[in-house]
Amino acid sequence: MTDAGERVVQMDATSQLWLDGLRSSGSEHEKCIAALHALLLRVARHEVSRRAGSLRVRGPELEDIAQQASDDAVLAIRSKVAGFRGDSRFTTWAYKFVMFEVSTKMGRHFWRAQRANLDDEAWGRLPDTIFPAPEKHAEQRELFALLRRAIEEELTHLQRQVFVAVALNDVPMDALARELGSTRNSVYKVLFDARCKLRESLRSAGYGRPVTLGSKA
Amino acid sequence: MNTDPDLEALLPTGSVDAGCAVSFEVLHRYVEQELAGGHPARSQPGLAAHLHSCPACGEDYQGLLGAVELFGDASPTAH
Repeated sequence: MTDAGERVVQMDATSQLWLDGLRSSGSEHEKCIAALHALLLRVARHEVSRRAGSLRVRGPELEDIAQQASDDAVLAIRSKVAGFRGDSRFTTWAYKFVMFEVSTKMGRHFWRAQRANLDDEAWGRLPDTIFPAPEKHAEQRELFALLRRAIEEELTHLQRQVFVAVALNDVPMDALARELGSTRNSVYKVLFDARCKLRESLRSAGYGRPVTLGSKA
Repeated sequence: MNTDPDLEALLPTGSVDAGCAVSFEVLHRYVEQELAGGHPARSQPGLAAHLHSCPACGEDYQGLLGAVELFGDASPTAH
């Protein structure tokens, strides 16, 4: 422990190599940045490919997203590397920035690929979402009606907008944050509050928590 | 209690949810602990709850887990 009470972590050799390169100057620094960018570009391409199907982004856009994500991940790492404490491998820490940048970039491209209306409400799919077994649809109709009424009447406009987009229409949170001029964290808080309200509404209507289908508390 | 997993998926609300900003700060440690065979959900229940409840952070977590497994710990001199 340091005098300030911080935990001292022994840096592994490979992480130390990365840090030495990033802290160096001249050609050594440039070589390290080039190696980091090449590595992160490979990671970004893989991640973009992994997510492409669910976001329906394809073709040259995928390579654009990977390039942008790796460029911005390198920038973020350069600005934050002083804060890296060696509490994981450097590469694990660095890949984290790629994931975040890929999420952000794919969120931006989501709206180009499909112009989903934020107020679209997939009510028709709601029973399938909650009750995948068709034979249970009828017996769970009461719960479905309660939930739908709670969404319509108890959520604020923003809560309803966020809940319907994320939970029913599968809009990525980063895409929604961009559309709303907000952040992922803020959108999540709205979503969390909406879920709490809906659960409370179901509970006050007689359904236990966690909700047990077919048996009121 | 026989809970319905799909309604749980629609309305997850963990009482110890860490939130997106905190999760981003410690996600790399969580992933390494998991890949080392540890049980990060026990030591970091707030992060575990968040990764279950937040689709965006959950996606980043899955991606990071896969990236570390696939690309490993590359050295700057290996390029």
